Amino acid sequence: MLREQLLSPYQPGTSPVHRLPAGSKLALALVFILCIVLLPPGSWLAFAVLSVALVAAALGARVSPRQLLVRLLLVEPLVIGVALLALLQPGGWPLFLSMLAKSTLCLACMLLLTATTRFSDLLRVLWRLRVPSLLVTTLALLQRYLFVLLQEMERMQRARRSRSFHDGRASTWRGSAQVAGQLFVRTSERAERVYLAMCARGWKS
Amino acid sequence: MRTGLEELSVLEVRNLGYCYPDGREALRDVSFALAANERAALIGPNGAGKSTLLLHLNGLLPDQPPATPTVIVDGLPLRADNLAEARRRVGLLFQDPDDQLFCPTVWEDVAFGPMQLGVREPELSQRVADCLAQVGLAGFADRLPHHLSRGEKRRVCLAGLLACEARLLVLDEPTSDLDPRGRRLLMGLLAQLPVAQLIATHDLEFVVESCARTIVIDHGRIVADGPTRKLLNDEALMLAHGLERPHILRHAHPH
Amino acid sequence: MHIPDGFLDLPTAIAAGAAAVAGIALGLRDVRRNLSPRRVPLIGLAAAFVFATQMLNFPIAAGTSGHMTGAVLAVVLLGPGAAVIVMTAVLVLQCFMFADGGVTALGANVLNMAIIAPAVGYVVYAGLRRLCGDGQRSLLFAAGFAAWCATVAAALACAVELAASGTVVLRSAVMAMGGVHMVVGLVEAAITMMVVAVVIRSRPELLDRSQRVEHGVPATVAFGAVATIGVLVFVSPLASSLPDGLEHVAHKLGFAAEAATPIAAPLQDYAVKGLVDQPWLGTVVAAGVGVAAAFAMAWLMARMLTRHALHARR
Repeated sequence: MLREQLLSPYQPGTSPVHRLPAGSKLALALVFILCIVLLPPGSWLAFAVLSVALVAAALGARVSPRQLLVRLLLVEPLVIGVALLALLQPGGWPLFLSMLAKSTLCLACMLLLTATTRFSDLLRVLWRLRVPSLLVTTLALLQRYLFVLLQEMERMQRARRSRSFHDGRASTWRGSAQVAGQLFVRTSERAERVYLAMCARGWKS
Repeated sequence: MRTGLEELSVLEVRNLGYCYPDGREALRDVSFALAANERAALIGPNGAGKSTLLLHLNGLLPDQPPATPTVIVDGLPLRADNLAEARRRVGLLFQDPDDQLFCPTVWEDVAFGPMQLGVREPELSQRVADCLAQVGLAGFADRLPHHLSRGEKRRVCLAGLLACEARLLVLDEPTSDLDPRGRRLLMGLLAQLPVAQLIATHDLEFVVESCARTIVIDHGRIVADGPTRKLLNDEALMLAHGLERPHILRHAHPH
Repeated sequence: MHIPDGFLDLPTAIAAGAAAVAGIALGLRDVRRNLSPRRVPLIGLAAAFVFATQMLNFPIAAGTSGHMTGAVLAVVLLGPGAAVIVMTAVLVLQCFMFADGGVTALGANVLNMAIIAPAVGYVVYAGLRRLCGDGQRSLLFAAGFAAWCATVAAALACAVELAASGTVVLRSAVMAMGGVHMVVGLVEAAITMMVVAVVIRSRPELLDRSQRVEHGVPATVAFGAVATIGVLVFVSPLASSLPDGLEHVAHKLGFAAEAATPIAAPLQDYAVKGLVDQPWLGTVVAAGVGVAAAFAMAWLMARMLTRHALHARR
């Protein structure tokens, strides 16, 4: 399903890019993005060179170009929207295009990183970098239960839709608010059970 | 039948009582013992207190352990200072595997228990691999939980409990919401495991096939405790406690 | 409001990042002090909850729908510290998994949506609750208005960051982001209030009840301080346009002196043109209208949402 794909950007593989340790890939991506950010607007040659490097890396990673493009297209409108603010000042169009190019390159780099690196590996890097444990645990639980909650939400919405005979805005608002509220109640109850399950296997808070 | 078995029992419950925070009585005067390698079923109507009782067996309830220990695991009376060890010996399988499978990958989840116990590499990876193989999920280490079927998730949870070297497995409705194939797989797996098991379930056919002993609980009290076939064939007993005689016995030849 | 990579220059990104780290540290400290360890899994699952609810559709008009970010919802349900952690986790996941928000801009995004939004939201929410009492209606009203304030504050912070990077002119950024989010904030407020109302009705004990004593500072003073800061936030970017205004006045008076015309004429000119030519006045008026509108909407919705409850319970 499209949503399933959206939620798991990781594309399993055994390419050399996949096999690089997560920490190195993260560092490389950050350096790449930093370079782009530091380039002055209008450095079209540099943009071109970096694009080629990125495409080469993507080919080396043997990831599906279609999936990457779909994700890129999904986020691109937001980038265009912010870049439009640049048109409000003198130096408009060239600045706008430069910003678009820089942002898109950075986006593509991040997308390639997440396509070749498991999120749990990235979390382990954060853990080693001494990021506070509450934050890492929260990120891990967030990633683990996001799909579970989304499925629960979908079930509740389906149940609501099969019982509603109007389709007006007001009833959709009420229904969505009801779903959100109920989802929180269920999430709280589930969190209590997860706490018990964690304690049952020796977790010391 | 109880004299002399106390020393060999892996679990002993003595006069266990519990009230919910709102005052309602959940369990009253519950007492029974389980021998090592015994498999017993815990059956009763909804609301009888099965899940509440299970949560007592590894010290998750009550919030403050009582002065006189009411639960003794492998000779170890449950107290506030030995809960960690008790939880190692009693592996509790929760009803919803999504509640218990809280780590990002299968490997990490099975490794969670041993890691809390201080197991490190390379023994850690070996243990995870062995336990996954034991439940028939070798090669699943890198899988993400939400890609697994319900039955597979449940088996991962089991592997996680086995990785802690539990002496007693306590299972809450393990065959509910499994398709027939998943159910067969799980039943076969449980039959092979050389660990004592206490299984709370509504699946009476499963009870007849797998558990030699049955404990019936209703309104927080034990109303019957004995050989499975004898109890489950007692139609009056079954009906009196919101249960019924399972089909498998209705059409079986009388022994 | 997620800023992508390439729109912030390095000094701004680093400064925002440092502020974000400080904010997260404060949030962690608040959690350690006020949340029992039993709630640790709840923080993680609440992050998943916030992410999921951000995907819910609230149709507005002609195919557009509103969504909730949930910063103040998290504050109401979990407290400010946990809300900071929850929103930070959501933003980090969005950045890394979906490239929603740039990596170099992560510090700024976290600062805006995970620190400033919950902080402003909490101060307004707690302050209003203390002023208006502990009833359901005052709780909902406080939550709604706090959600609006939080949205606008985050948007203004975003505008300041973009301007400081030279991406946009400050005035345009403030007008655009501030203006748009004064409207978006109304949607956030409405949704927040409706969701909180549902939770109150089924499980009121789930709302965050931990008391935080702010060293005995009376609520009125705290609220007044926030209001002042809010006004300053509105006015200070416009300080860039004040020189224009002042220059204009000086020019006019200069003309008046040179031309030596009767005093009444230039003064009259100035009085009429003043309202038209001083953009800052117009902006402050617009801001005031926005605040009043949000206040009124939150108050009315709170009444509407508790109307049924009152009938049922009394």
